[in-house]
Amino acid sequence: MTTATTLSSAPPSTTLPLATVRGLRVAYGDRPLVLDGVDLDLFPGELVALLGASGSGKSTLMKALTGFAPVNEGSVRVAGYDLTNLRHGQLRGLRASVGQVFQQFNLVGRLSVLTNVLTGALHDAGPVNLVGGFSAAHRRRALELLDRVGIAHKANEQARSLSGGQQQRVAIARALMQQPRIVLADEPVASLDPKMSHAVLDLLHDIARQDGIPVLVSLHVLPLALEHSDRIVGLRHGEMLVSAPTRELDAEKLDVLYADVDGHDDRFDEEGDHRGAALA
Amino acid sequence: MALLSPETTPDGTTGTAGSPETARRGRPAERPQLDPRERERLERAFSVPRARFLLGVPVAAILLVWSFVGAEFDFAKLGEGAANMGEFLSRMFPPTWDKLDVIVELLVETLQMAIVGTVLGAVLSLIVAFGAASNIAPRWLYYPTRWVMNVIRSLPDLVFALMFVSAVGLGPFAGILAMTVGSIGSIGKVFAEAMEAVDDGPVTAMQAVGSSRRQVVQYGVLPQAGPMLVSDTLLLFEGNVRGATILGMVGAGGIGLELTTAMKMYDYGHLSAIVICIIVLVTVIDQASAVIRRKIT
Repeated sequence: MTTATTLSSAPPSTTLPLATVRGLRVAYGDRPLVLDGVDLDLFPGELVALLGASGSGKSTLMKALTGFAPVNEGSVRVAGYDLTNLRHGQLRGLRASVGQVFQQFNLVGRLSVLTNVLTGALHDAGPVNLVGGFSAAHRRRALELLDRVGIAHKANEQARSLSGGQQQRVAIARALMQQPRIVLADEPVASLDPKMSHAVLDLLHDIARQDGIPVLVSLHVLPLALEHSDRIVGLRHGEMLVSAPTRELDAEKLDVLYADVDGHDDRFDEEGDHRGAALA
Repeated sequence: MALLSPETTPDGTTGTAGSPETARRGRPAERPQLDPRERERLERAFSVPRARFLLGVPVAAILLVWSFVGAEFDFAKLGEGAANMGEFLSRMFPPTWDKLDVIVELLVETLQMAIVGTVLGAVLSLIVAFGAASNIAPRWLYYPTRWVMNVIRSLPDLVFALMFVSAVGLGPFAGILAMTVGSIGSIGKVFAEAMEAVDDGPVTAMQAVGSSRRQVVQYGVLPQAGPMLVSDTLLLFEGNVRGATILGMVGAGGIGLELTTAMKMYDYGHLSAIVICIIVLVTVIDQASAVIRRKIT
């Protein structure tokens, strides 16, 4: 489907990709294909923006990378795991090595900020945590991560008492607590105001560069993608139409992603929540 | 060149996508439209009720009348009975407090029964609820657990009390067992529903960090359901305090036996004192749990 030319200019470096997707097709049950032949590589240190209108398959692609969506056809390799051929017990290992950030933050509101960050280490917490204990080393690292995202002073407060931007920072710290090899952020700024959106994307970009891990961020606001990403991948109706370094792209070239999409254009919709609008 | 225009898309299907300008203008003709008749109906301030509503009202009325007749509900009898009721109540005053020490002793026993029954019941219910919450339990466990809970719920606690009195003899122990088993049916279901009602987001996040099923429950489900679980447990406790007075009537401990005995002996002053003490205890507990509920939610 999507040709090799799409990928030819993709690699920003000579290192091996940490995620490789080839010819991915995804359908839920008998419904039409949500993803139709997607090829994608994610390289260390880059922030890749994933663009597309509502229902274009952005979220499904994210889910397919972590085993939350089925892989009907094609191959998906993430952090050394082959998702089409996962052995028993490997799914947890895969998920532990992929940090995820969500649109609605998905923090446990009644738990403290620190505990929320600590849950990122659950995969290597011993049986001691049956009673809720995390090791001192884990706690130290969680606090360092809170320092890094700038809200260590809120460590002891309930997560639900924080503002949206602060909650998203906690969620990013939780993802980093996993010591991830890749970070996936599905519409991480869709619930935030523009100023906070820039701050969160700056943070994610810093993480990509400083930690040398790929960060894949789905966005629906073009200017944010053009400003903050190293590379842009664009989907329309489940097909990959764009994959190029951001410096080679502009809003006009990305128009193709939003043509013929339910006669609706939400590119500049800053606060849209389109979960219900997808796949009409 | 990495950018593919619609015209160059290899499968050719998107070549007819049209210019971006067309897309931006939108195509109202292709959008799903509201049925004009439905629109007219929705715009009317006072609309004619739908047929199913017009049918439903007489069906409900017939059902209600049928039930009144079947249950022998009689307003005339209620009027006659009111006089007897007044006489019964007048006999209850003044209360006699000469056996207050017995009442207090039995009330304390009732309270102890309720505490033990609630704690055991809540712990067992929590365990059972894990199996009855559809977002936690696997299918093979979910359905049998729900079925067992339904069976338990369909039996009154008094039946369990009689069963346990015959098994372990008269006394509060039988009452505690009856309360414990009874609560699995009632509060177990409520617990399970509290766990099912938690926000899915944090649960997904816990799965996404690679947690085990147990960790997802511990960090994703229980912290969210916690206030509801505590509130439901308090409700169970209030119910058990009242329930313990009834269980006593079949000899399963508590103040119930003293209450029925006083009735049978026409010892109205004593009966009155017992009832007043029960009301005081239940009110105090209700108030205390209201305070706790406010604190946790």
